[in-house]
Amino acid sequence: MIHTENLTKVYRMGDAEVHALRDVNLEIKDGEFIAIKGPSGSGKSTLLNMIGCLDTPTSGSVFIDNTDTATLNENELAEIRREKIGFIFQQFNLVHTLNAVENVALPMFFAGVRRDTRLKRAEELLVNVGLGDRVHHKPSELSGGQQQRVAIARALSNDPEVVIGDEPTGNVDTETGNAIMDILEGLNKEGRTIIVVTHDPEIAAHAGRTKRMRDGMVLD
Amino acid sequence: MRDKFLVAYRSIRERRARSILTVLGIAVGIAAIVALMSVGYGMEEAITGELTGMADMISVVPGRITGATYVELGSFTDRDVKDVQRIAGIKDITAMTYDAAEVEYRNERSPIFILGGDTKELGSFYVDPVGIKEGRWLRENDFKGCVIGDRVANDFFDEVIHVNDKLIINGEKFIVVGVFEKASTMYAADVDPHLFFTLRASQEVLQTDEVKYIMVRVYDIDEAEGIAEEIEEAINDNHGLDDFAMAMTMGSMIEQIGDVFNIIRGVLVGIAAIALVVASIGIMNTMLMSVMERTHEIGVMKAIGAKSSDVLSLFLLESSMVSLVGGVVGCVVGVIVAKVISFGAGAALGIEMTAVVKPEVLLGGMAVAMVVGVLSGFYPARKASRMSPVEAVRYE
Ligand SMILES: Nc1ncnc2c1ncn2[C@@H]1O[C@H](COP(=O)(O)OP(=O)(O)OP(=O)(O)O)[C@@H](O)[C@H]1O
Ligand SMILES: [Mg+2]
Repeated sequence: MIHTENLTKVYRMGDAEVHALRDVNLEIKDGEFIAIKGPSGSGKSTLLNMIGCLDTPTSGSVFIDNTDTATLNENELAEIRREKIGFIFQQFNLVHTLNAVENVALPMFFAGVRRDTRLKRAEELLVNVGLGDRVHHKPSELSGGQQQRVAIARALSNDPEVVIGDEPTGNVDTETGNAIMDILEGLNKEGRTIIVVTHDPEIAAHAGRTKRMRDGMVLD
Repeated sequence: MRDKFLVAYRSIRERRARSILTVLGIAVGIAAIVALMSVGYGMEEAITGELTGMADMISVVPGRITGATYVELGSFTDRDVKDVQRIAGIKDITAMTYDAAEVEYRNERSPIFILGGDTKELGSFYVDPVGIKEGRWLRENDFKGCVIGDRVANDFFDEVIHVNDKLIINGEKFIVVGVFEKASTMYAADVDPHLFFTLRASQEVLQTDEVKYIMVRVYDIDEAEGIAEEIEEAINDNHGLDDFAMAMTMGSMIEQIGDVFNIIRGVLVGIAAIALVVASIGIMNTMLMSVMERTHEIGVMKAIGAKSSDVLSLFLLESSMVSLVGGVVGCVVGVIVAKVISFGAGAALGIEMTAVVKPEVLLGGMAVAMVVGVLSGFYPARKASRMSPVEAVRYE
């Protein structure tokens, strides 16, 4: 289970302060599929980054399985990112010097999984997202939708309980977007917690619960 | 660990153009250092080598050098030679006549200096270090034979002179029995433009029995200065003059040249130091750029669970591999460049000069490549690995 307590993030730009998150209290149960909507600049990405341990809050805290992440050090946070969470970016963010299977295997590399084991598992994951025939392609040789599926496979590489997607369908066409949401829905059926940010109501319809954000606050 | 090497290697190979540029940046700097130092050491060795072979010599002339000109004050007598011979510590002594004469070869005339002396002693002074290219050295009974220097053979007349060619001097015919090799710098002025005769033949040709030049070899180089003074005194006494004879030890000439060489060496060290600084800045720049432009990649790695230390060790491994290759390439290129430069300079100066590649220079070059390369890769990598993943991913 994930919950936030008075989660606050303030960006200081010179004299101006931007309150990206204001006292957010949100609870996400295990196995839930939650969609977050809201206008641009309302703090959706900031919230996901905090939950995904990619950034640290100004005040308040994120609890993952009752662990206060604010008390963890750098390496412990890296371990959470590596073992518990799979993050999918809008911009895919693949390592462009590595091919598809190596990208998928990268989180396992950092987890210390043996080379042959991790390449075998990475290939299986690619088959599961329908890219069995693109295993040795470089990101530059793949379409946007294919790159995002590689990114999903990478997010699953260490078998995380939680998959977080920040507008995972934002850079692909509607059809591909639906295919990606089907994959996420499938992951949810396997029992994983899914948290996605999206602007698209059709896509939000896949989720079990939808939350709206405005001005750094989560509305009821 | 092997895995890390593979990942680092992949990353280097995939970024081929960038990696080659980085390797080149490092190699150029290291090559400059290695080449300069090796040429410098080669020069030092070439010059000291030439000099030490002649360190036991004293030349005695009847006159003195004022500024850059030599003023001849007369000539030595047989008594001078005998008195010098009596001085303790002298190994051998050669008395020489020395004067210009008009030489005719195939209807062409040219004034040439003629050197005559005891064939055995003259031979030991010049034949051993310079060498005979054609024919043979003079014998005691060669009254009509002569040996010629390289420039006499090749430059002084339109046609090249060979062994058995005939020269006419003061109406008398002489046969060339030998031709010297081209002499190295230290001997060039003594051998290349001269005709060599036995003492008797030269005295006949020049119609004189005067001695113009005495060369002395001592047993102990440390005593050379003292012996030189004794020689001057003995001859000055004979002629009743204060400054008639001048005896120069090679040692004093070596000292003069040594001073010049220290200056050259200082300049070389200075250039090497500049090369070092330029190389270091170049290496830092290429390394800094190649790591900084990958801040985004570092952010992605951290976002999917890499620890800062994982990222850092990957990038350090990559920088050290690139630096190692750069260092090796730099050393190899540096050695080649040094050899080419030394060969060219040696040929231009007419001395035998080979680059001296000292292991400590190569090791130093490698050390500079590794230390500067790895440190300048370390700094931006550490900076990037300490950013929050979001910050690093956002960096473009
Ligand atoms: N690194 C940053 N520095 C300064 N301000 C930032 C930074 N990141 C976000 N912000 C600000 O925080 C607020 C929330 O940004 P955030 O990216 O969370 O919005 P969002 O809801 O994801 O918007 P979008 O739908 O456009 O992605 C914005 O006003 C934004 O300008
Ligand atoms: Mg956003």
